[in-house]
Amino acid sequence: MVGPTASLSILSRADGSASLKCPTTGYNVLGSVNAPIELPARRDALKPEEATVEVFVKPGNTTAGVGERYVEGILRSVLQKVILGRERGFPRRGVVITLAIIGGDAVERGDSYLNILPTLLQVSLLALLSAAVPMSMTFSTALLGVTKSGDIICNPSAAEAKAASSLHVLAFSSKGHLLLDESQGRFEFEQWESVRERAFSICRGMATPGADGDVTMGDGGDEARINGFICETVEDHLHRDYSWKIDSA
Amino acid sequence: MMADRRRINGPPGGTRPAVFASNSQSGTGATTRAQRQRQPSELRKIFLKTGLIPTASGSSYLEFEPSASLAAARANPKSLIPPSSALKLACTVHGPKPLPRSAAFSPNLVLTTHVKYAPFAARRRKGHIRDSSERDLGVHLETALRGAIIAERWPKSGLDITITILEAEDDRWWGDAPDSHDASWGMMNVLAGCITAASAAIADAHIDCLDLVAGGVAALVSDESAGSSAAPKLMLDTDPAEHRSILSACVVGYMPARDEITELWLKGDSSKASLEDGDKRTGHEALIDGAVDAARGAHTVLAEAVRESLLSAVGQL
Amino acid sequence: MAAPEAKVAPSIPPSLSLPPSQFARLQPHAYLLAHLSPPPASNQPSIRANGRAPSQFRVTSANAGSLTHTNGSAVVRIGDTAAVCGVRAELLHTEDIASWSVSQASGSHKRRRLADLGKKSAEEDEEDEEDDEEDRAHIEDLNLLVPNLSLSTGCAPGFIPGAPPSALAQSLSHQILSLLHSTRLVRADDLRIWYQPPNLGPEEPERHNEDEQMDMDAEHSPTSESKPREIKAFWVLYIDVMIISLAGNPFDAAWAAVLAALRDTKLPKAWWDVDNETILCSDNISDARKLCLRGLPVASSFGVFEADAAAGWRPNVIPDAEEQKAQDQKRKKGSQQSWILADPDGYEEGLSQERACIVVDKEQGGKGKTVIMKMEKHGGWTVDTEELRQLVDISARRWDEMKRMLDQC
Repeated sequence: MVGPTASLSILSRADGSASLKCPTTGYNVLGSVNAPIELPARRDALKPEEATVEVFVKPGNTTAGVGERYVEGILRSVLQKVILGRERGFPRRGVVITLAIIGGDAVERGDSYLNILPTLLQVSLLALLSAAVPMSMTFSTALLGVTKSGDIICNPSAAEAKAASSLHVLAFSSKGHLLLDESQGRFEFEQWESVRERAFSICRGMATPGADGDVTMGDGGDEARINGFICETVEDHLHRDYSWKIDSA
Repeated sequence: MMADRRRINGPPGGTRPAVFASNSQSGTGATTRAQRQRQPSELRKIFLKTGLIPTASGSSYLEFEPSASLAAARANPKSLIPPSSALKLACTVHGPKPLPRSAAFSPNLVLTTHVKYAPFAARRRKGHIRDSSERDLGVHLETALRGAIIAERWPKSGLDITITILEAEDDRWWGDAPDSHDASWGMMNVLAGCITAASAAIADAHIDCLDLVAGGVAALVSDESAGSSAAPKLMLDTDPAEHRSILSACVVGYMPARDEITELWLKGDSSKASLEDGDKRTGHEALIDGAVDAARGAHTVLAEAVRESLLSAVGQL
Repeated sequence: MAAPEAKVAPSIPPSLSLPPSQFARLQPHAYLLAHLSPPPASNQPSIRANGRAPSQFRVTSANAGSLTHTNGSAVVRIGDTAAVCGVRAELLHTEDIASWSVSQASGSHKRRRLADLGKKSAEEDEEDEEDDEEDRAHIEDLNLLVPNLSLSTGCAPGFIPGAPPSALAQSLSHQILSLLHSTRLVRADDLRIWYQPPNLGPEEPERHNEDEQMDMDAEHSPTSESKPREIKAFWVLYIDVMIISLAGNPFDAAWAAVLAALRDTKLPKAWWDVDNETILCSDNISDARKLCLRGLPVASSFGVFEADAAAGWRPNVIPDAEEQKAQDQKRKKGSQQSWILADPDGYEEGLSQERACIVVDKEQGGKGKTVIMKMEKHGGWTVDTEELRQLVDISARRWDEMKRMLDQC
C-alpha cells in the first residue's frame, strides 16, 4: 500500500506549514499556521487566560461555504484541546490555522466532509508541529468505511465511500485517547466497536506501549501506522534542519 | 447573481411556486371569497403573552385570532389554499446594553428595530435577506416606539428590538389579481401587530415608558360586487383577504393615557368615505379616529398581558 | 472552592454575601461543580444546577401544522429552546434543469428502471436497495432539499439580527442537510411528478418494438406500456428553521422541528398539463398526500463537564488512556472527575468543551434493534467506547420518548 506523502515547512512566510497528499482518497491539503499572533480585530472575543484558535478551510475550486464552517468547528474543537494555549506568550493571542484543499474531489453541497477530515486534521497537526506550537499530545487519524456486506475498508476512495453503508473518522491521541469520532450512515454499536479497534491499530500499531511510552513498531501488517508516519516525517525534517550540527559532531 | 455561500441554496435554475388548477367543480370552496363576519367596529381577538423567551431581556408573542373563514377552513380542511391568514409574530428585546466601542457617544438610549419575515410567512416565499418592505416596517416601528421610551435614562446604551414574523397577513384575497389601487394592505396589519407586541416586550424588559403604545388599523372598503357605485365604508381591523377592494387604510401607534399618536401611516384615497349623516369629519379624519379606536381595543389586551407578566414576576419573588 | 468565593467578596463571609444566581454568574464552573459533586457528608444526590439528573433531558413539546402558508410546519420546544420549522414545496421543472436531457438520454435502460421504480414505490424496504442510487442522484444532485436555519431572530444576545448567518447557524444548516441526506429520510419518489404520454400511434407495431419492456410491465399496467413514463418535475422542499429562543442545544430542537414538520408535510396532487405545458396542482385536500418518510431518526446531544477544566492545559500531566482507566477504576467510589450531561442548556454549554451527538432510529416502530445513523464526538477525551455505549442506550430511551411525542402532535 502506498502511504501518504508529507512535507514540512514549505511556506517561507508562515510560522509553520505542511502539506499532505493521501494517495487513496486523492486529497492534497496545504496548511499554514501563524502563532502566536495578535488579533486586534477580535479584541472583545479574545479569552484572557488562553489562546484563541481559529481555523479556516478553503476549498480548492470555490469560496468557503456552510460545509466548511461546519468542519472548521470540528477542527477547532479538537485542536483547541491539544494546543497548550496557556503557555507563555499565548494567552490573549491567536493561533490561526489555514487549510487549503489543493487536490482531490470537490466536496459537494451537503456532503459529509468525512472523506477529507482525516487529511485536514493530519495537516493541521504537522503544520502546528512545524510552527513549534506547544501541544499536550499529538494525534493520528483514520478513515474507515463499512461496506454493505459488513467489511471494513481502510481509506475508501470517493466511490467506495459513496457506496459504503457507513463512514467513520476516528482520531486517537498519542496517549491512546479517543479524541474524535465522526460516524455517519447506518450501523450498530457492535460494528462501531470493531471499527474502533481497527482504527486504533491503524493509528497506533498493534503493539503495546513499552516501558518508556514508546510504541514498538513493526507488526502493523501492510497498513501504515499513522502515528509512526507522523514521527518519521518530523524526524526526517529535523534531520535535514540539523544536518549541519549532526555532520559536525 | 452569485449564490449565497453562507446559506444552503436550492436548484440553480430556481423553482416555481405551485399553480393550482382553477376547478370550480372541485367543491373545495376555495374559489369563494371569504366574507367578513364581524361588525364594522368589531376587532379580532389578540393573543399576547410576554416572557416566553427567557434568554432575552424582554419578549412577547402575538397572534391574531383567525378570521371566520380561516377558522372554518382549519376546523374542516377541504382545500390546500388557505382562505386567509392570521398574524403570528415573536418579538424580543435585548438591552439596555452598552453601545459597541465603534459607536459614537449618545446621551440617550439608542433604539434599533429589526423586522424580518420568516421565509414561509407569506403566500410567496420570502428571501433570507431583508427586502425594502421589511426595512420599511422596521423604520415605522422605530418611529412608533421612540416617542414612548424615556430614552435619557440610559445614556450610552442600546436597545435592540427584533421581530420575527412567522405568519403574515395577506395583501388581498388570493384569487384577485393585483389591480391599480392595490397596495400592501397586509403590511399595515403587520405593523399594528408589531407595535403592540414590541410595547409588551419593552414592558417585559422593564424599560421605562410614558405609556404602552398600541397599534390599530382602520380601512375604507368597498365590498359591493354589483358595481363601484356604493360608497366605501369604514371598518376597523380589516383582514384584506375578506374585502374586494380596500380604498385606503390607516395604521396608528397610540398612547391612550396621553391621547397621543406616535406613528401614523395612511395610504390610499380616503376622500370618498360615506359616513353617517351629520358627521362632519373628512374621510381621513374618520379613518384616523377609526384606527385610534382599534388601537384602544389592542391596548386593553396589551395592558392585561403586561399586568399578567408583572403578577407572575411578583409571584416568583 | 472557598478561594474563588473569597476573591469575589473578601471582607464578608462568602456564604452569606452572594445569592446563588450571582455566584452562578461569577463562578459558573465552581457553581456547577458544587452541584454535581456535593460534599459526601451532605448526603445530597449529584444533580445539575438546573435540577436535572445528568442523563435527563428537558421537557419537550411539539406542535405541528399551525402555520397557514406552509405545506408542513412544526414548533418544538426543548426546555427554553424553541424552534419553528416550516416546509414549503415549490416545483422544479425538468426543463429548468440544465443537465436533465443529457442525463436522461444517456440510457433508456435507466429511464425504464425509473419508471419501474415509480410503480413499486408503495411497497416498502424491499426496493430500498435499488432505490438508493436514484434517490441519491435526484435528491442530492438536484438540490431537492433546501434546509436553512436562522439564528438572527433575536433568540439570544450575541446574534446580531440582519447580519449574515453566523458560523453556528451555517454549521447547523449543514448538519441538518447532511443528516437529511445520510438518513435518506425523504424518498425521492415522493418528490417526482410523472407524466404518461398518451399512446397515439397504433398499438401493434409498438408492442413489437418494446418486447422486453412489455414483459416487465405486463402485470403492472397492461394498457400503458407503449411509452415510458417520464418525470416532468420535482418538488423542492424549502425547509426553514427559525430558532425563536436559544437556551442551549439548538441542534436537537432544530432536527426535531424538521422531523415533525416533514411528518406534517402534505404535497398537493400535481400533474403535467399538456395544453398549458406546465404543472398544475389540485387544491383538494383529499388528493394531497403526505410524505412517506424513512424511519424516525432522533438526535440527542451531550456535553461533558470536567471537574478540572484546566487539566488539559497543563503539560505532562495527561495520563495515558490505559493509566487513566485504571485511575478511574480506583476513583469510582470517590470523587468523579467528569460528567456527561444530556441535553445541555446554554449555561452548561458554555462550560463544556467536549460534545457528543448521537442520532438513532429503532426499526419496526420501536420493536426492532437500535440503529445508529450518526455518532459524533469531539473536543476532549472523556467519551470513549464505554461512555458511548451508555450514550447510545440513553439515546435509544430518548427515541421512545420523542416517538410518543411526535405521534401525538
